[in-house]
Amino acid sequence: MIQLRRRSVPFVLTAFLVIAVVVAVQGAFATRAQLAGTFARQSEIVHAQLSLEEMRRLQINAESAVRGFSLTHDPFYRQQYATIEAEFDSKAASVRATMMGAGLIGAVRSLDDYISLQRNWRRKVAEPMLADGGTDAVTLDKSNKAFTDVENRSVQLIRATLADANDRLARTAQEQVNANAYTRAFWLIVLGLLAILFNGFRSRLVTELEEERTTTETLQKAFRSEHVPLPNCEVGSAYLAASSHLAVGGDVFDVYRLSDTLALVFIADVSGKGVDAAVLTAFIKFTIRGIALRRRDPGAMLAEFNTAFAQTVENPYLFVSMFVAVLDTETLQLRYASAGHDSAFLRRSSGMTEQLAVTGPVLGVMEEPFETKTLHLEDLDSLVLATDGLTEARDPSGVQLQEAGAIRLIQTSSPQPQLLADELVARVRALGGNRLRDDLAVLAIRVHEPEAGDALA
Amino acid sequence: MRLRSLAALLVLFLAAFAWASADCSIHQGDKVVLYGTSDDPDVFIWDSRFRLRDYEGGSFDQMNALLPHAVLARPGTRAVVESCVSNFVQSKYLSTPDNAVGIRIVGGPLHGQRGWVLGSSLRGMPKAPR
Repeated sequence: MIQLRRRSVPFVLTAFLVIAVVVAVQGAFATRAQLAGTFARQSEIVHAQLSLEEMRRLQINAESAVRGFSLTHDPFYRQQYATIEAEFDSKAASVRATMMGAGLIGAVRSLDDYISLQRNWRRKVAEPMLADGGTDAVTLDKSNKAFTDVENRSVQLIRATLADANDRLARTAQEQVNANAYTRAFWLIVLGLLAILFNGFRSRLVTELEEERTTTETLQKAFRSEHVPLPNCEVGSAYLAASSHLAVGGDVFDVYRLSDTLALVFIADVSGKGVDAAVLTAFIKFTIRGIALRRRDPGAMLAEFNTAFAQTVENPYLFVSMFVAVLDTETLQLRYASAGHDSAFLRRSSGMTEQLAVTGPVLGVMEEPFETKTLHLEDLDSLVLATDGLTEARDPSGVQLQEAGAIRLIQTSSPQPQLLADELVARVRALGGNRLRDDLAVLAIRVHEPEAGDALA
Repeated sequence: MRLRSLAALLVLFLAAFAWASADCSIHQGDKVVLYGTSDDPDVFIWDSRFRLRDYEGGSFDQMNALLPHAVLARPGTRAVVESCVSNFVQSKYLSTPDNAVGIRIVGGPLHGQRGWVLGSSLRGMPKAPR
């Protein structure tokens, strides 16, 4: 459970940081997009304002040209008037298009009034004055003044509408920036606080896990077998715990003298990890020893253990793979049974190595009989037993060693049992780049042909 | 009794006149120059301050209809202030109310003519050097 929580916490922390970065970046882009849109609209409005002032200037210039003509009758002023009015029309069309694009419908209406007035002024005032007819100059002057006054009103109205639109856009932009900033700040603070909380939680979990690991290792060390000297045998063993971030597993092996000539040899691997698995190894060790004192048939031992295991261990998710053998150190006869434990090998004196067959299912799953097999060992043959940390060892690319790889390692290791066990552990560690996913226990026993004197004794 | 009524009316008239001219910055007898705006410096002189007000607040057609009641004075025309009605001209087209000022032209082709103009169309005469 702690393992699971400990693994999920860094993920949650990373997720918070990623979300915080996403919130910040997304907010920045959103603000940028909003401001870009606002600035583009403001730019259109400013362009319209400038163009309107230009129209106003052209209107005054046109009036001046008309006055110039009425005073001097110089045709130059007629030409100037025509040029100015053409420019005025062009500018008016441009300003109208800009205002329509910016959605300033009110301003467009005022502009249309302005343009219409200017056209009326041309027809009713400018053209009669330029025609040089006998129109009453005083009346035209007054009409001119009236037109100018009304046009002024239209221009004032357009100016006010454009200025108002500009102010509104500036206010909207400011509100958008504020809203974005406040929203981002809120979420960043929330995510930051959550990250701090989870970091504290993670630290606590790490401490708990280390305490549990220390307890488990202490237990395992206490339960692991001491080597007892066996006649005509050399025994070697090694144990390698999984990498530190994982909890300790339930590997156990034992070499126990049943009589002067018989020895119990077993190795087991409990599913699960932690204190529960470590405690179970003690149960296995002493239960098997007890059974072996009464029964000498390894298959019968496993069957009895299986029953006891089911009655004792209530956790339905726990099961055990186990290899049990009874070795006669005089005759070098090996009788064994294997409950789903496939990491058992026989290394002949020549170096040829074979896997010892599984003779029944793992313990704790179902009630099944376990077959007992018998082998006769030769001088300098070795029994090599390991837990699944050997066959399931992985190289850095994730490829498992499996049985064939384990046999290759055993064949090419030293024949001396202790050296063999140490070499296996070292090579498995090297294979995984000094990182072991599971605990690994190795037990190696090399037999020697009894000498004639020994047999008689 | 009749004399008293006339006196009361006179007092009311004078009070109303004083109130109306309370915000005027120019006073009777001030010498001024007519000048519209830099865009359009000509100034209309109206025969009635009510027409002046109607012109400033009216539509184009209404304005046209009123034109026979106005004369157009060139910028720089000199005049003397005869009366002032504060904030008399109020129109949606004006940002703030304007005064209606009664003047008498004292120079140019319109010399001697009386009428009403907007307060914003008047400029003070530069003082003569001593």
